Amino acid sequence: MLGVDMRALIILPMTLFLLVGGANAAGVQTVVVGSKHFNEGYILAEIIAQLLEDRDFRVERKFGLGGTLICFEALKNGNIDIYPEYSGTLAEAILKLPRRVSYADLRGILKRRFDMDLLGSFGFNNTYAIALSRSLAEQRGLKKISDLARFPGLRLGFSYEFLNRHDGWPGLARTYDLAVRPVGIEHGFAYQAIRESKLDVTDVYITDGDIEKFDLFLLKDDKQYFPQYLAAPLVRAELDGRVKQILGGLAGTIMDDQMRGLNAMVVLEGKSFAEVAHRFLNEAGLLTSGRQRIEESKWTIMLFRTLTHLKLTLIALIAGMVVAIPFGILVYRVRAISRPVMYIAGLLQTIPSIALLAFMIPLFGIGAKPAIMALFLYSLLPILRNTAAALFSIDPVLKKVSVGIGLTPQQRLRYVELPLAAPTILAGIRTAAVINIGTATLAAFIGAGGLGEPIVTGLALNDTSLILEGAIPAAVLAIMTEWAFEGLEKLMVPAHLLQKPAE
Amino acid sequence: MSQITLENISKFYGDQQALLDIELTFTDDVTTAVVGPSGSGKSTLLQMINGLVRPNHGTVVVFGKPIDYQRLPELRLRIGYAVQGTGLFPHLTVEANITLLARLIKWDAERIKARTEELMELVNLPFSYVQRYPHELSGGEQQRVGLCRAMMLNPQVFLLDEPFGALDPITRNEIQREFLHLQRSEARTIILVTHDLREALKLAQRLVILDQGRLVQHGTCAEILENPANGFIRSFFQSQLET
Repeated sequence: MLGVDMRALIILPMTLFLLVGGANAAGVQTVVVGSKHFNEGYILAEIIAQLLEDRDFRVERKFGLGGTLICFEALKNGNIDIYPEYSGTLAEAILKLPRRVSYADLRGILKRRFDMDLLGSFGFNNTYAIALSRSLAEQRGLKKISDLARFPGLRLGFSYEFLNRHDGWPGLARTYDLAVRPVGIEHGFAYQAIRESKLDVTDVYITDGDIEKFDLFLLKDDKQYFPQYLAAPLVRAELDGRVKQILGGLAGTIMDDQMRGLNAMVVLEGKSFAEVAHRFLNEAGLLTSGRQRIEESKWTIMLFRTLTHLKLTLIALIAGMVVAIPFGILVYRVRAISRPVMYIAGLLQTIPSIALLAFMIPLFGIGAKPAIMALFLYSLLPILRNTAAALFSIDPVLKKVSVGIGLTPQQRLRYVELPLAAPTILAGIRTAAVINIGTATLAAFIGAGGLGEPIVTGLALNDTSLILEGAIPAAVLAIMTEWAFEGLEKLMVPAHLLQKPAE
Repeated sequence: MSQITLENISKFYGDQQALLDIELTFTDDVTTAVVGPSGSGKSTLLQMINGLVRPNHGTVVVFGKPIDYQRLPELRLRIGYAVQGTGLFPHLTVEANITLLARLIKWDAERIKARTEELMELVNLPFSYVQRYPHELSGGEQQRVGLCRAMMLNPQVFLLDEPFGALDPITRNEIQREFLHLQRSEARTIILVTHDLREALKLAQRLVILDQGRLVQHGTCAEILENPANGFIRSFFQSQLET
């Protein structure tokens, strides 16, 4: 009876896989555009994508990737062809250049070392700034960053990237002799924290649309610490020359306040990235075909995301079962390997999910593959541990009898041990499934899509409704999974062997 | 012919001596009861015969040949085995428990059904029980199912390890009657481990008496009752048969 149900478990995700994967048809040249997961990154990437679509390229969007390193690695590995990057970020975070270099020098280095082309910059300089609420600035008389040294009691909270970058907090603290210890905070939450007076000072980008929304005051960089951050499309050098030429047309088209305006349209007016990008391209006269943008309905998008989410989770779960159940049996049969195997599986579980996802990128690039790999690793421990524990805890009398009546080791496993262990193994699979559904929301950081997409975007925009657009279906999915497993248990396990809740 | 002989058998668990220098041939086609106080090595001796325990010294001969420890499952299919507490598989129905081995060695369905019905009738189990699970049966009924399972392939040798130990006196009495019935209907070599001398005398023709891992005396029940070999046996008999 175990065999029949297992087959259903394998066929279902295969069907889903075809359903979701089938969307990619061959034909026109496809350009893969990536973006980091913050407002401006999305807008610039969307501008690039729509411009290319206008010139009849097919564009695959891999937006909302986890951070600078993830994007850069993805470009290096050829997982994406283009993403918008900043000159300062390249010089400091990627190349770790000891001194400041000109834009032209930077281009030369990227070409030589990574075979990448940094195209002409959009025009604006989105450097870091240190921001606080206007009222606090006026009340304490804060005008320049060097004024911060006089108020050691201020609560500083910076984005994790800023905290750890060469050109971020460490250098800033040295240059301005600041002794305060800042805390790390997800960028999207920082503004809200400042508005609710939970936080005093944070890092912002100069073109940040939120600066107006939250009425923030920017401290003057009086020691000229922050380098220039000119945004430009960064592309792989071997990319079609026409693409580079088309994108060259974007150079110098967006200035500081224009960019802040575009950002504000999203942040303040709640317009979609696609809409803002379209409006900009239209007003700048860069669109030639006059084609209308087709936007899919929200429900279609949500269904697609849910299916992608399910696909990631199920493939990982099934791979996890295929590996962990036999290993659980092996652990049971061969005592010598039991400890090392359990330790390794336990160790995998302790790696924070976002870190595990990041580790997968050099190995598998970005997209569904590394996400599935990470989820697979996460599903190993619950299944492995439950399989081994269930087998170990079978009544010794039954074990003795099954040997004594003449069953071979294989027959014992198939007809006695596995059926008796099935309820506990199933519980392990169920745990893994629910963990996977939750963890898969983080997969959007490495371009795997799914229900994490609106969550990641919502975090970048500090948009609760957008976060809920991903969180609610994910929760529903988790509950439905619980139900599905309850049904499966009823099918596979005689009622009297199910663990009943204590009465 | 079952031809079971223990040749110069010793068994140790670490420093603990379980059996020492056992030299014994079981008489074919009768019931032999292995008795002795707890810790005397009765169960260990029984489990030598189907290879669950392997001796440190000596040879175990079954069906006229020394046991081939590489091919134990084949040997065990020819030896029925039932234990105290039934050892029924809780996830299988009564029918599935009884017929498991027959299905695995690919008996045809007719033969399986006929044999199941025959056995269930022998031990007085209603045939309507086949679809029940073990936990839905009383202790005595479970014990009967255990007997049926052990007898399914009609083994020439039948090993019973305190099979009726956990039953109440009335149920035990009934099952003992059915056991005798079974034995008369299908003659075979039965080796029964029990700590209950009355049970041994009732069910067996021959006795093997163990004390602290040593063989003290063996022979027919009458021989031993009339002629106990030593003081230990006399006092063992007294303690068990009085009251």
